[in-house]
Amino acid sequence: MQVFKLCIKVLEKNKTAMLIYIFIFLVISVMISRLSVSKPQTGYADVKTDIAFLSEENTPLVNGLKQELSKSANFVTVADQTEALQDALYFRDVTYIVRIPKGFTERFLKGENVRIEKTTVPDSVYGAYLDMKINRYLTTAALYAKYGGGMPQKKLVSLLKSDLDQTASVTLKPEKVRSAETVESGGTGTTFTMYYFNYLAYVLPAVLIFGIGAIMQVFNNRDLSLRSFCSPITARNYNFQFLLANIVFCIVCWAILLIPCALLDPKHFFSRATSFLLLNSFAFLLSAGGLSYLIGNLVKNRSAISALSNVCSLGPSFIGGVFIPRLMLSDTVLKIASFTPTYWYVKANEQIEALGTFDFSNLASSYGCMAVEAGFAVAFLALGLTAGKKTRVAG
Amino acid sequence: MIISVKNLVKRYGNLVALDHLSFDVEEGEILGLLGPNGSGKTTAINCILSLLKYDKGEIRIFGRPMRPDAYDIKRDIGVIMQNVAVFDELTVYENINYFCGLYIPEKEKRKRLVEEAIDFVGLNDFRRFYPKKLSGGLLRRLNIACGIAHKPKLILLDEPTVAVDPQSRNNILEGIQRLNREGATIVYTSHYMEEVEQICSRIIILDKGKVIANGTKEELKNMISLGEKITVETSAIHPEHLAALRRIPGADSVEYANGLLVVKSGKSKNNLENVLDFLKKQQIGYGRIYSELPTLNDVFLEITGKELRD
Repeated sequence: MQVFKLCIKVLEKNKTAMLIYIFIFLVISVMISRLSVSKPQTGYADVKTDIAFLSEENTPLVNGLKQELSKSANFVTVADQTEALQDALYFRDVTYIVRIPKGFTERFLKGENVRIEKTTVPDSVYGAYLDMKINRYLTTAALYAKYGGGMPQKKLVSLLKSDLDQTASVTLKPEKVRSAETVESGGTGTTFTMYYFNYLAYVLPAVLIFGIGAIMQVFNNRDLSLRSFCSPITARNYNFQFLLANIVFCIVCWAILLIPCALLDPKHFFSRATSFLLLNSFAFLLSAGGLSYLIGNLVKNRSAISALSNVCSLGPSFIGGVFIPRLMLSDTVLKIASFTPTYWYVKANEQIEALGTFDFSNLASSYGCMAVEAGFAVAFLALGLTAGKKTRVAG
Repeated sequence: MIISVKNLVKRYGNLVALDHLSFDVEEGEILGLLGPNGSGKTTAINCILSLLKYDKGEIRIFGRPMRPDAYDIKRDIGVIMQNVAVFDELTVYENINYFCGLYIPEKEKRKRLVEEAIDFVGLNDFRRFYPKKLSGGLLRRLNIACGIAHKPKLILLDEPTVAVDPQSRNNILEGIQRLNREGATIVYTSHYMEEVEQICSRIIILDKGKVIANGTKEELKNMISLGEKITVETSAIHPEHLAALRRIPGADSVEYANGLLVVKSGKSKNNLENVLDFLKKQQIGYGRIYSELPTLNDVFLEITGKELRD
C-alpha cells in the first residue's frame, strides 16, 4: 500500500492548512448558526388590537358582538367622519373599523343577506383574526336565529355567549412549530443542525479541493509519474490505492465536520430528518470530491489551487443559498446557482427540514436534488479523467 | 543478452527521432549511449522502458518482449532519469523506502535494502532531511538511491550528472562502476564524452536517431584516421614554414591561428619529435607544447562533420 501511504503522508504535510480551514469554518458556522436560528415557539398568548366600533343601532345582538370583540380588541373612540377615520387608520390609531348599519339586526334575524362594513389596514394579521371572530359570532347567531324557533334576542345572545366562551387548552410541540415555520418561511430553516448542514456546502469543497489538489499536484508530477510507471506496480493497483486514499480522505473530512454538529445539537442530529440531511450531505460530498479531482487535474500550481478552493466554495455558497436565504435571491441568481451542486444541496436540505412525514412521495423531490448532486459528481469525475489523460499525453 | 533493440523507429510528426535503431546490451557491461542533445538518447531509453509508444521495431529485455504491462521485467530494472524525481513531502529515507516499496513488498527485506542504498550513496547523515534541504549533488545521489535500492539486474541512467558539481559527478561515476562490479548491467546515456570514456566498456554514438559508431573506446578511436594532435604556442610562423611543416612525414594537417600551431597526424610514430626538430632547425621560438590522442569528439567530428556539443 505504498501509494496509499504516500497520499496520506502528503495530506499530513498539508494538515495544518486544512485544520485551519476546518477550525475557522466551525467557529463561523457555529456562531452564525446560533445567531440565525429562530427560537422554537412553545406558547401562545392573545394580543388585543385597537379598533373602532361604530354602530348605527343599539340591539342586544350588536352589543353581544361588541362584547365578543372586546376579548380581542381595545375600542378606540374615533369621530364618525371619513377624514377622521382615514387618519386613524393611517396613523395606526386603529387597525380595524367595524360599522354596523342601521336595520342590520332585524334583517339579519330574518335571514337576509346583510353585511357588516369593515375597513382595515392592508395585510394586517389582526384584521384577519377579527374577521374570524365576527364570522364565528354571526354564523353561530344565524344558526340560533334559523333553528331557535323565534327565541328572544336576549336569550339568543346569552346562548351565543356561553357557546363562544368555550375554550380548549392547546400545547404546541416545538418540533411541529419548527416545521410549520419552515414551511411558512419558504424553507429558510430554523434549526442549528440545518444551518450547520447548509454551511457544510462552504467548508467541504474548500477542504477537499485543498487536500485532493495537494495529492494531485504530487501525483501529476511528470517525472514522478514516469518513475512509478517504470516500477512493477500494476496500473490497476496504483489507481486503486490512489482512489482509496482520496475516498478515505473525503469520508474522514465529512466525519470530522459532522462530529461538532452531533455534539452541539444531539437532539436534532439523531432525528429521522437528519438521517436524510446526512444522505444529502453524502451526495454533496461526492460532487465536492469530483470537483476537487477536476481542479487537481486542471491546475498545476499550489497557490492557484488554494485560491480556487476559496472561489469554488465561497462563490456557490453565496448564490446557492448558504449565506443568504434563497428567498432573498433573485430568479436570475438562482438560475445561475442551479448550475452548481450547492444550490441543489441547499434546496434538498430545506425540503427535508420542511417535512413532517418522511415517506417516499414526500422525499421524492429531495431525492431528485440528491440525484442532481450525484450527476454533478459523475460529470466532474469524467471531466477530471479527460483532463488528466490530456495532461499525461502531453507529458 | 540483456537488451535487444531491433529496427526501432519513433516519429514525432515529421521528425524522425529514432531511425531504425538497433543495438544489443550484453550482461555485465556498461554501455554508453553518447550523442549530442536531440540525438535520440532519451527517446531510446523511454522506448526501452515502454514509457513511449514507438512506430516500428522490437525491444526485448532479458529475452522477453518489453511492454507497458511487462511487470515481471520491470521488477529487475532500475531507472534514474535526467530530472530528479523525488517527493518533496518525504524525507530522504522515506523517498528511498517508497520507491523500493514499489518493487519489494517485504518490509524487513526492504528495510535492509534501503539502508544499503543510503550507505551506497553516502546519505547517512541526511536520512531525515527533506529534499528541499539537500544540495544539487546530494539530491542527485538521492535520485540514484531511489532507482537502485531494490538491487536491479539492469540499470538505465539517463544523463544522471546534468548540472552536478565535479566532486559529486565523480562520486556518481564511481558509484555506477561499483554497481557494475556488483553485477548490474548498465546503460548510461550522456553527452559528456569524458564520462562515457571513463566508465563505459562499450560505447554507441548516436546522431539523428541512428547508430553511427559502436564499439569500445579504442575501437571507436581506431575507426578514424587521426592519431595525434600536436599544439604548439608560437608567434613566429610564416606561410613558408607551414608549407615546410606539411611536408613532414605523417603530418596530415597543419594550421596556424591565434599564436597556436596545430599539427594533426595519422597513426605514424615520432610525430612530436619531427615537429620539434623542424622548429629547432628553423630557429622558431615556442612556448608550451602539448600532444593529445584523439577523443570521442574527434570520432564524432570525423564521422558527422560536426562537434559532439554543437
